[in-house]
Amino acid sequence: MNIIVCCKVVPEEQDIVVKDDGSIDLSRAAAKISQYDLNAIEAAMNLAGEGGQVTALTAGSPKWLESTKIRKDILSRGPHKLEIIMEPALEGALPDATAALLAPACREIGFDLIICGEGSGDLYAQQTGLLLGEMLDIPAINAVSSIAVENGALVVERELEREQEILEMPLPALVCVSSDINTPKIPTMKAILSAAKKPANVREGGEVKSLSEVVSICAPKAAERKNEIVEGDAEEKVDAFIAMLRKVLQG
Amino acid sequence: MSEFPTVFVIADSPEAFNELVPAAAALGAKTEAIYVGADEAAARRALALGAGRLHVSPARTGQIFEDHADTLAALVKGSGAALVLMRADKRGRAMAAKLGVKLGAAVVNDVSSIEEGVFGHMAYGGLAQAREKPGSPLVIATVAPGTFKAVEMESGDGAVEKLEFIEPKHPIRLRQSKARQASSADIGKAKRLVGVGRGFSKKEDISLAQKLADAIGAEIACSRPIAEGEQWLERERYIGVSGAMVKPDLYLAAGISGQVQHMVGVKDAKTIVVINKDKNAPIFRFADYGIVGDLYKILPALAKALG
Ligand SMILES: Cc1cc2nc3c(=O)[nH]c(=O)nc-3n(C[C@H](O)[C@H](O)[C@H](O)COP(=O)(O)OP(=O)(O)OC[C@H]3O[C@@H](n4cnc5c(N)ncnc54)[C@H](O)[C@@H]3O)c2cc1C
Repeated sequence: MNIIVCCKVVPEEQDIVVKDDGSIDLSRAAAKISQYDLNAIEAAMNLAGEGGQVTALTAGSPKWLESTKIRKDILSRGPHKLEIIMEPALEGALPDATAALLAPACREIGFDLIICGEGSGDLYAQQTGLLLGEMLDIPAINAVSSIAVENGALVVERELEREQEILEMPLPALVCVSSDINTPKIPTMKAILSAAKKPANVREGGEVKSLSEVVSICAPKAAERKNEIVEGDAEEKVDAFIAMLRKVLQG
Repeated sequence: MSEFPTVFVIADSPEAFNELVPAAAALGAKTEAIYVGADEAAARRALALGAGRLHVSPARTGQIFEDHADTLAALVKGSGAALVLMRADKRGRAMAAKLGVKLGAAVVNDVSSIEEGVFGHMAYGGLAQAREKPGSPLVIATVAPGTFKAVEMESGDGAVEKLEFIEPKHPIRLRQSKARQASSADIGKAKRLVGVGRGFSKKEDISLAQKLADAIGAEIACSRPIAEGEQWLERERYIGVSGAMVKPDLYLAAGISGQVQHMVGVKDAKTIVVINKDKNAPIFRFADYGIVGDLYKILPALAKALG
């Protein structure tokens, strides 16, 4: 089985700074693999087993993807190789633009199955994977909580708001998995060391073009909080905390 | 003046029309509803709510809502529609992407405002609000629940048209479907909430939070990994950008680290109280009152003192 797993590198949420005018400053943010793409990578590795081939595919700006650290981080989670689409204009790109660049790359790499995460940590549009599947003209579905191959077809469980489904999809196909599917393992020392030896290939991106334009991204002012914190859970500390809570409850 | 000439509303459950059809009627000069499912009678409410026409694509055994994408695309294509509205749930997002590619239309998910052709939605885990302007003649938007006012309506009269089903090129076969049990939880209405996070090491320990909740008349809520992943509590109980947005008088969070994606869901809480053993947990920045300590020790003490 030949699997492509798509993953996005996003700014670490904790490092995002909101400036006084409400604008967002990402300049100090570290790069990280988008949280739910870790589930996708884990799902790909589990399904591929011993014999399968897993290629990680990521698209983004050099700002996040030039770092060897993040490339190794992706590879240390199991994929056999990494394909990187690097374009400065992909910084902040909308899902349709990203999917349009992922599609030809997937065709070139070749696949039986593409696995994507549910949505990225930055935009969380939950679209890129589904758009990619449609652009490649293969069956594509989201909210997948389990996958298996039976008689050459994919059998997936889907966890929706009002129902659970078991579906059968012909291959090649694309699935967007939810965080229900697994708990991503922390890479072992050995996996981290061997990641350095795996191939990472940077490919031509092409034109970054979206049907939409981002007009503004702006953070609203956060409410002021009192910040009265008791440090420690010895009896008298807990009592002091209870006294605070009593006041709140009395309103 | 209406912003859009014709607006389509697509739903797989009749209740979705309650919010979306009045919204479409307010945004567009003409509203048409499309229902995919088996309960045509209930779907007729779309007509009472203001749709000029109801198109029905009857449910098919062994096929799912998403398999109707070609059928719906064919209808919308020649109609001159400028906007398609759907509910921002998983099916809605899947259908939106399929229609987007089939119709060359921009897709915007989880929309919380539509004004002068600009669509608002959250970004960076809820930290920021993004405003997006689609440039395509047709826009497909999935709408975050509660964005528009829902109107209750029974049934209406008007033109109902059955759609001719177009077989998808790659049909997905439905082997089995099981309705999920409706949750009794309505954390949106509760005045007080006790939030459970990954600081609880096993499902049974949630009883510690429950005892405190009982003592102070609160409902149990949680962080996303407790509901999705661990599946210790129903999904309806998780708070955050992808879960419930709530405004209780009191939110008491225990064993929750305070990531933006969670905290945005309680940003309008009157008072936030925090229990976390890590002094550096980001949640303390959002706290009115807090204690750095072990929830396993503190929760029973609170339940006892306040019960
Ligand atoms: C796109 C996207 C959307 C998301 N949407 C949501 C969302 O809507 N809602 C949501 O909740 N999350 C959401 N998340 C996940 C979010 O980023 C965090 O992973 C999640 O909120 C963390 O949950 P937690 O605080 O329970 O767990 P953790 O982050 O693991 O925190 C556990 C905390 O418990 C404390 N602790 C441990 N033991 C004890 C003890 N004995 N006593 C006291 N304290 C203890 C620890 O110090 C720690 O701070 C989203 C993520 C992404 C990428």
